[in-house]
Amino acid sequence: MNTKKIKINGSFLNSNRALLFLIVVLIAGIFQNNFYTAFNINAVTGNGSLFIWLGLGFTICLIAGHMDLTVQYVSTLAALMCLGLHADQKIPWVLAIIIATLVGALVGLINGILVAKLKIHSFIATLGMQFVLRGVMYFYSGGAEMSIGSDYSANEVLTGQLIPVLPFSTYFLITTLVIILVMVFMRNTRTGRNIYLVGGNLETAWLAGVKSDKVTIAVFMLSSTCCALGGALNGIYSGAANVTMGEKGIAPLMIALTATIIGGTAISGGAGSVVNTYITLVAVAFLKAIFVKTEEQVLVLALILIACIAYETIAQYRKDKVLGTRPNLHLEYLKEKGKI
Amino acid sequence: MSEVNKTAQAKVDTRKTEINKGIIIFNKMGIWVIVIGLLVLGTIIAAAGGGNFFQASNIQSILEAVALQGMVCAGLFYIVYAGNMNDMSIPLTMALAGMLTVQSINLGFPVALMIGIASGVGVGLVNGFMIGKLKANPIIWTWGFNLLISGIVRVVWQGRQLYADSVAADTEYAQNAANAFYSISRTYLTGVFSLMALVMIIMFVISWFIHAKTSFGQKLKMVGTNYEAAKLSGINCSRVITLSYVICSTCSAIAGIFYAAFRQVASYENGTGYDFSCLTCVLLGGTLLGGGKGSVIRTFGGVLAYGILNNILSWTGLGTYEKYTVQGIVFLIIVWINTYSERKLGRG
Repeated sequence: MNTKKIKINGSFLNSNRALLFLIVVLIAGIFQNNFYTAFNINAVTGNGSLFIWLGLGFTICLIAGHMDLTVQYVSTLAALMCLGLHADQKIPWVLAIIIATLVGALVGLINGILVAKLKIHSFIATLGMQFVLRGVMYFYSGGAEMSIGSDYSANEVLTGQLIPVLPFSTYFLITTLVIILVMVFMRNTRTGRNIYLVGGNLETAWLAGVKSDKVTIAVFMLSSTCCALGGALNGIYSGAANVTMGEKGIAPLMIALTATIIGGTAISGGAGSVVNTYITLVAVAFLKAIFVKTEEQVLVLALILIACIAYETIAQYRKDKVLGTRPNLHLEYLKEKGKI
Repeated sequence: MSEVNKTAQAKVDTRKTEINKGIIIFNKMGIWVIVIGLLVLGTIIAAAGGGNFFQASNIQSILEAVALQGMVCAGLFYIVYAGNMNDMSIPLTMALAGMLTVQSINLGFPVALMIGIASGVGVGLVNGFMIGKLKANPIIWTWGFNLLISGIVRVVWQGRQLYADSVAADTEYAQNAANAFYSISRTYLTGVFSLMALVMIIMFVISWFIHAKTSFGQKLKMVGTNYEAAKLSGINCSRVITLSYVICSTCSAIAGIFYAAFRQVASYENGTGYDFSCLTCVLLGGTLLGGGKGSVIRTFGGVLAYGILNNILSWTGLGTYEKYTVQGIVFLIIVWINTYSERKLGRG
């Protein structure tokens, strides 16, 4: 049993800032009318689920030290394809979801090959793919909105409550389940732990015998598959999908990035957890219910994000300043701060 | 003896050292080959459609379309060159400069212009301090700062759009200032050449001068090539990087003012997408993403290539969004060729 005593100080609060954020938002919710009604909680978590999928994809990539800018477009493309295949080709829902997810996996494969084999920086490679996907989306849909039509069977499954006691839609529960699965995968399997290794130091990982190219490709495929699956489910959940899905107010990619950073994933890769991103995104979803105006949402989110980045930057700066000046000074500094 | 000779012979490096001539030529000519190729392609496609690619109105539309991007690229070049990848706060720097210029139009046009440009300098200083001095991650910080400015602009102006003629007071002075503001994007010097294109070219000339002829440019090359070595050789790296961000944000602010005048409206949406499209232009120009290699003149070539490519796609009759696919594929191929040739030359 781990019996380490928990000290509540700055570093403890910082390492649990996602949870802290959620608690603050939930406390603030007490002062709102109709905040803790079953209907509100159901709607808020359901509508926020798309961002959880995007944040999941972005976090996995950032842990491996890469940026995936295509998350938003992969999910939108999958949603369009899922609804389009069912409406036009009369393909059953499950098969449509699977095909859309496979298309997402294909995009992830291309991303991975561009980054791992052709050695293009991930930021640039996914930026290019972003343009390609945007064009493909318009080729597929013609810019029109894809609708669920008159077949509400799958929609009812996703919007209904699986467990009658809990005020959560099935869509949100599936999202939570996948987050737990990915967490277990990343913590307890060899491939999952290799992702952390590759993100921490690519060179060392390669010398330690990790096939870093394969891991990189797997990371991008996992990320895109998650986003595509989430997008397809979101298309069914909301009953319609268009090329600007989720883009009311803040760009979804921006929300994914914000939540990943607030959730404590290391900017340079190698550390972090998808659960923290998940908690942050649930908090963001509730935050949107508290601040109704888009302007205020943007400002509040930006302030928290900037505070997190600035805190990490300044902490690193002060660490670097004492590092290497005198052999023991860094340890003395940490002892003085009570970190050891 | 002979055995020793044999072992010595066996140790001769047999790795492939000769470099493909084509790669060297491409690396030297780079973007101009692409520009000429695109011009030829454009002539063929335009002729097939029964038009003339080199008619005055077409040249004018190309120049106008790339003018704003060119202004930003003249500054963004320094960010990429210093090895900081991209300045994601360009869109809101542009929007903020436009908003402040329109809001202060009552003070007279020159003062409003100064305030707009000063806002760009301010944004650049904050970015430069955080990235140059405190060593924040350049992309994450500028992206977050972009969101913060977006939030501030949206809350302060309540998400409204500003029109210069309705903001201006009912005096002759203020109305004249508003008219002057609108006219800057609609002035044509010799019928073909717009003021925007002229400003872009002037900015590129200044940018070239700073890069090639000043000590700052040389220091920047060192910082971009090898940060640690530059620091150890006594260069004030934080100041150099701060200055590069100030230049970039100032250029973005000037572009933002022209953008607001061109659209006749200042809003927080001005400049959306400019961060990525301008990065495309800079990378097309052959600037190395890792920093330390590139030139302003070739960046200008990249801007031209982007404009001509867009123009050709318009001749083929593709819609705005279908163009994205072609742009994305061309972008990826060219970046790949760049990276590949650099790696083969041992510089990547």
